Amino acid sequence: MSADLILSTILSPIVLFFVLGLVASLLRSQMTVPEAFAKGLAIYLMMAIGIKGGVEMSKTAITPDILLIALAALVLSFATPFLSYMILRVTSKMSRIDAAATAGHYGSISIVTFVAATQALELAGILTSGYMVAMAALMEVPAIMSALLLARRGMKKSGEVAGSEKGELFREVFLNASVVVLVGALVIGWVTGERGMEKIAPFFVTPFQGVLCLFLLDMGLNAGRGLRQGWRQLDVGALSFGISMPLISAAIATLICWSMGLSIGDAALLITLAASASYIAVPAAMRLALPKAQPSIYLTLSLGVTFPFNLTVGIPLYIILAQWVGG
Amino acid sequence: MHNKKRLEMIIEKPALKRASRVLEEAGVKGYTVFPAMGGYGGNMRWQRGTDLSASRDMVMIISILDETVVTKAIDALENLVGAHIGVLSLSDVEVLRPEKF
Repeated sequence: MSADLILSTILSPIVLFFVLGLVASLLRSQMTVPEAFAKGLAIYLMMAIGIKGGVEMSKTAITPDILLIALAALVLSFATPFLSYMILRVTSKMSRIDAAATAGHYGSISIVTFVAATQALELAGILTSGYMVAMAALMEVPAIMSALLLARRGMKKSGEVAGSEKGELFREVFLNASVVVLVGALVIGWVTGERGMEKIAPFFVTPFQGVLCLFLLDMGLNAGRGLRQGWRQLDVGALSFGISMPLISAAIATLICWSMGLSIGDAALLITLAASASYIAVPAAMRLALPKAQPSIYLTLSLGVTFPFNLTVGIPLYIILAQWVGG
Repeated sequence: MHNKKRLEMIIEKPALKRASRVLEEAGVKGYTVFPAMGGYGGNMRWQRGTDLSASRDMVMIISILDETVVTKAIDALENLVGAHIGVLSLSDVEVLRPEKF
């Protein structure tokens, strides 16, 4: 069963298209997906996953158990950067500010890794709950707060950067595209329910897999390009962090799932969320909040190392962990 | 012909709004923003559109302005390119219609 699961996940079209993009980029192929088209694909995917989650949520009531999972998700997102920061400071040569910014990425989540995990679970016939999309949205933000706390701890209070405006960081953190689209689509799906879904299913359900393949081809190209351009900025400690941190976060999330008695599907998704690292919401917030941190470090690590690892090796592993502890 | 200053600032895209505010608050009459395609700096090549957050993208701001505006904005601009990834240069130019700048 485990070998089948690993093989079917790795040999799925979405993972293979990602690998194609990654390899093409590492071999310096000139292939590109037009920038605006790739951004459109990202919005489509976030809308589709949000609506599907909202529709599923409309079928069930919000129970104390769901609220408890939400609390666990928030705590995971907030606490993970502190652990990540300590590990980075011990194992790598990163400065305090680079370590804090990088740590923030590992507390937040990757929505594409989440989507890939839902597809792998669907392929394996394992059911998941719609409210897990809400957990993904909840986990985007707290890690950014932790990164700021870590970066500013012990630092002399320096003046504001010229041109800063009150509320700009708040807008970037809470109103960035991924949060707005994901939460907005989730609410729309929740309000319109199954009847609303019937009308838009030909656009959001049937072509979903194909669009995901296209998107992951682009992600592969981006990951390869990022890795090619930025790998020199990473020392061995940072590179090994990119692989070991998802596993550490997954182990902690597995224990939480076990203590809460989550179903296999929901546990696999929560473990995947905990193990994933952001490359959309957090980098943008970090450029405003911690401009001295080097994006070539944290983006290369989250997009070039952790994302490929999670997509190929991580997801099957997290599903196996969920099968061990899931109820 | 009349003497003016030409400001050229290449700065990371997330800081564009900050740069715009600095220029507008100093009283600049106009500026133009261009997307940068790619380049080299900090011992590495960079390229536009390599991640969805667009946090590694760069833009170029060009403005022709009066020396009095430069004097007003220069400290804030220095602070901005000191904090964010970017470079700034000023050069002397001649213009036909000084009232436009």
